[in-house]
Amino acid sequence: MIRADAPAKLEGRIRFGTDRTRPGMLWAALVPAPVAHGRIRQLDLDPARRAPGVVAAIGAAEERALLPGRGAEATPIFPGEIRYRNQPIAAIAARSLEEARAAARAVRAEIEPLPLLADLDSVLPGWPEEGLPADAPINAHVRARHGDVEGEFARADRVRRDAFRTSGVAQVPLEPHACIAWIEGEVWHVLTSTQSPFGVREDAGELLGLPPERLVVEGSWVGGGFGGKVAALVEPYALLLAAASGAPVRLALTYREEFQLTRSTLPARVWIASAVRGGHLTARTVRLLLDTGGSLPGRDFATGYAIAFLLGPYRLDAFEVEGYAVRTHKPPFGSHRAPLAPQCTFAADGHTDALARDLGVDPVAFRRAHVWTAGDRTALGQEVGPFGAAAALDRARALQEEWRRSMPAGTGLGVGLGYWSTGTGAGGEVRLSLTPERLTIHEGEREIGSGSVVRGLVAMAERTLGLPADRIVLEYGDTATAPYDAGVFGSRTLGALGQAVGAAAHELTAELGRRLGAAGPARLGVEGDELWAAADGRRSPIAQLLTPGERDHGGLLRTGRHYGRSGAIDPARVHAGEFYAYHDFTASVHLAAVQVDRETGQVTVLRYAAIQDAGRVIDPPTFRAQVEGGVAMGLGTALTEEMLWGPDGRLENPGLLDYRVPTLLEIPPIEVIPLEGFPGAGPEGAKGVGEPPIIPVPAAVANAVADATGVRLYELPLTPERVARALMAR
Amino acid sequence: MGFELVAPRSPEEAFRLLEEGAGAASVLAGGTDLLFDLDRVTTAPRRVVSLRHLPWRGHAWQGDTLVVGSTEPLYELERDGSVAARLPGLHTAIRAVGSRALRHRATLGGNLARAAPASDLLPILLALDATVEIAGPAGTRRMELDRFLLASRTTALRPPELIRSVTVPAAPSVYLWQRVRPANDISQVGVAIAHPGPAVYRIAVGGIVPRPRRLPGAEAGLLSDPPPGPERVRAAEEAAREAPFPSDRRATEEHRRRVVRALVERGLVHLAGGAA
Amino acid sequence: MSGPDGSALVVNGRAHPIDGVPSHERLLDTLRGRLDLKGTKEGCRTGNCGACTVLVDGRSALSCLVLTHEVGDEPVTTIEGIAADPNGRRVQQAFLEEGALQCGYCTPGFVVALTGLLSESPGATAEELLTDLQGNLCRCTGYAAIVRAVRTLRAEGP
Repeated sequence: MIRADAPAKLEGRIRFGTDRTRPGMLWAALVPAPVAHGRIRQLDLDPARRAPGVVAAIGAAEERALLPGRGAEATPIFPGEIRYRNQPIAAIAARSLEEARAAARAVRAEIEPLPLLADLDSVLPGWPEEGLPADAPINAHVRARHGDVEGEFARADRVRRDAFRTSGVAQVPLEPHACIAWIEGEVWHVLTSTQSPFGVREDAGELLGLPPERLVVEGSWVGGGFGGKVAALVEPYALLLAAASGAPVRLALTYREEFQLTRSTLPARVWIASAVRGGHLTARTVRLLLDTGGSLPGRDFATGYAIAFLLGPYRLDAFEVEGYAVRTHKPPFGSHRAPLAPQCTFAADGHTDALARDLGVDPVAFRRAHVWTAGDRTALGQEVGPFGAAAALDRARALQEEWRRSMPAGTGLGVGLGYWSTGTGAGGEVRLSLTPERLTIHEGEREIGSGSVVRGLVAMAERTLGLPADRIVLEYGDTATAPYDAGVFGSRTLGALGQAVGAAAHELTAELGRRLGAAGPARLGVEGDELWAAADGRRSPIAQLLTPGERDHGGLLRTGRHYGRSGAIDPARVHAGEFYAYHDFTASVHLAAVQVDRETGQVTVLRYAAIQDAGRVIDPPTFRAQVEGGVAMGLGTALTEEMLWGPDGRLENPGLLDYRVPTLLEIPPIEVIPLEGFPGAGPEGAKGVGEPPIIPVPAAVANAVADATGVRLYELPLTPERVARALMAR
Repeated sequence: MGFELVAPRSPEEAFRLLEEGAGAASVLAGGTDLLFDLDRVTTAPRRVVSLRHLPWRGHAWQGDTLVVGSTEPLYELERDGSVAARLPGLHTAIRAVGSRALRHRATLGGNLARAAPASDLLPILLALDATVEIAGPAGTRRMELDRFLLASRTTALRPPELIRSVTVPAAPSVYLWQRVRPANDISQVGVAIAHPGPAVYRIAVGGIVPRPRRLPGAEAGLLSDPPPGPERVRAAEEAAREAPFPSDRRATEEHRRRVVRALVERGLVHLAGGAA
Repeated sequence: MSGPDGSALVVNGRAHPIDGVPSHERLLDTLRGRLDLKGTKEGCRTGNCGACTVLVDGRSALSCLVLTHEVGDEPVTTIEGIAADPNGRRVQQAFLEEGALQCGYCTPGFVVALTGLLSESPGATAEELLTDLQGNLCRCTGYAAIVRAVRTLRAEGP
């Protein structure tokens, strides 16, 4: 099946956020803070205002003047305290991009430097061995436990303790953030490259103090998101500049800024201990320090969400998890394709793999013996539901034996087990309209590349209505005209909007059945140029089934909704902070074959297989593409990608030269194996697969390196230097 | 950042334009390195002198020596089978530079004049005993590459001098490198070995401070042809000892030493007819 | 057609006067900003992503690292003109059939670069073509479908 957007993309006809313009448009540049922590004493924008071509120069004072009524001191867009290096302290709109950038360089700021919180090691060097200092910069604390933890460890016949470190990674969409803002009367508009127009409306509306009816967000085609475009980032600056200048303003990040400003996955330190008695994993304790950068207190979502991954998808008699979200002077922690799950799984699954080897047990069999199956509950007491891990592990074990026989000596094989659960959040809505010629899906999301919109929603309409794809069109609209949806993230699009398409289709066929005088729903079909409906042996062209009003105005309309979904955890197990319960537990079991150069430490991934619990595969090519793409991105996290910050809070590799995403040559052949039969709550039992395929990749690779060399790596990424050093230290 | 772009038709005109520019003029050959820099710095040259009209493109063999015009794109050498056959180390090193699209424009002269410390070409050209022909208002002079390279991003060129050509004697040779990401990355170290005659080995490394250099200590220990295992190991160990490797964000000194040791040994095995 | 001082840029067979183009302007910005040829994508601007790849005299070039006035009289081909080249159409068809794209931002660069490789080195094997595509980054597909498209073009593998 050819994607509807493919021809235009192959011919260069698609217009992304960076491609869009408006008549009379000005160009914007941001003024970066020269320190990572400091207070702005004085900001002199006059040199910028006098520079050629400049129409508006704004900082905190202008923010206050343009947005009265939010409290005299509140300037959330240009705050007085700088929380990370390059945080915008002012913005310029000018007649050309060059003039805007030149003027941005002319801005003079007097800044009082404040003490810098650089990283986890310098902020909390002693924890967990030592207690937490009273003045520790903590954004959030989470703690949960259940069962007799101390007793299980005391009774254990084997205990293993490991400590892991992981690095910050960037999303690296090829298209940087880009938007155009303009004001029409009382209504502020922004056209932006986003995964969530409604999310941007919410975030930017909160920052600007604008109610939803005064802020309209329209999505453009998106040149990659990967979580980096779920929240507002550039839009508030552009909107303020548009208000200040009275003209449309385009703001696109430079690629350098894309690395410096985008909220992403930040470093973590992890400690895991497991207790085993009689070959059974009985208890696990977990500690997590997560760098949450300049996140504001109470704005941490990651710690309670991520810490559960460290327990693994295993039945445990007792557990304890405790974690802190630590404030440092970096941009705030943000979403990134299954944020922190690959890193936590690297730790948890590596620890489990090592534990099995300690016990002299096959690591796959050990996982298999403890992994959740339907009917089990998670450590936090949530019901698991249909979960394909055991079946996927069986498959992986067979494959591993096959590879072991066929691959050259010295090859290391590693299995990684990861899991995910989908958050459909606030749900979403679509409208279907049927005319004699076609079906139109009206919805609020733009395609970010995964195909979940252009293929997923269209495939759902094909399946539920029986119409061919060439008779189905998507109509996107903006937040003023399109039905609400939370956004394309969390592997939720097919589960939420796909269900909504199904619900609307159900209404539509029922209504057509009624109009045909039949007892049940109608089927749809095409003959020549015309659509028809049939039920109970009666058949009629759609044109004859529409009312005159429907014929003249938009066709037969039906709305479908999905109300979101979540699981429930046992509150008695939560002792501090917030934990989350999503739904549709989804297993990913990967098998990696590697070769390790024992002198240089270079790891080469020779071959890869990804077994993906899918519930039900709706569109095989889109499914396969998601898994392949997730594996490749995970290989970057595993082997080469690492954000490096200096002691002054400066990101030292804000570009593709030293932030190394995989090229075509680092990606091995990837075998994608769908596993059906463990249904989720998505349409026809489908589970979301946007994020799951990235999760077990670093674990699978590290386990394969351990298999090849006998040496386990405790820090991501597995650069040649880290591997060589570990091999030397043996 | 604005600048004036001029494209002189003769070397003499180029020298005059560069002299007028007095310190605020840059030379543009393929542009792949200069333009990479210009987008990032805030102090740009006021004048950029393009060499594209100078008659310095092309390459030719003069007996056993390859003469390469300074504005010859790297890809022209890459696609010439005689370069791969007679200067295999140089061919490998050229293929290691950036992407194909970059090599379509990047030039050999530009790579030498910009003298990046992590250049993949400098080690192999040092090992091959390349010489640089320098043209200036007072005429031309020749200089061994080892004398031409002064430090990171610093050469013996005296403005308004330009590199006119590079001369590379043919020799069995090999180039090996180490990177975090194998494809299209900056090399942490590069090891080049040329084997121009019986029991003669010339070894150079890149990725070190202040610039790529030969390793005479390691070379001196190679007395046999082919060197037996223990001799190779001693040379590799000496190579890892004698160069001043830096620690930076791409690799520590320790890792660079470890890798150079491995790559020197592999390079010698390769030249002795084994697999590298 | 050329400007008063004779300078013109030939893009997809059409000449455009460029004497008003500043010396320091990159080919990428001329194509996108002045000629409205926005199929050529702006990515990193440091020559590391390949999204801005165009053909200059039939060879791939990173238009972010080329000054417009340095192109001279060499013809430029962008994604908008690639279908005029039979190899360009073949590449588009192979990418279409294999679904070798997702968000599409890297796609014009891949199509142009591969078209250039096929024209320049008609005898290249699939492996050689893939090696020479390493300068084009894709963050969505994991390259798997792109690899399949290249193999389809070479009819060498599955």
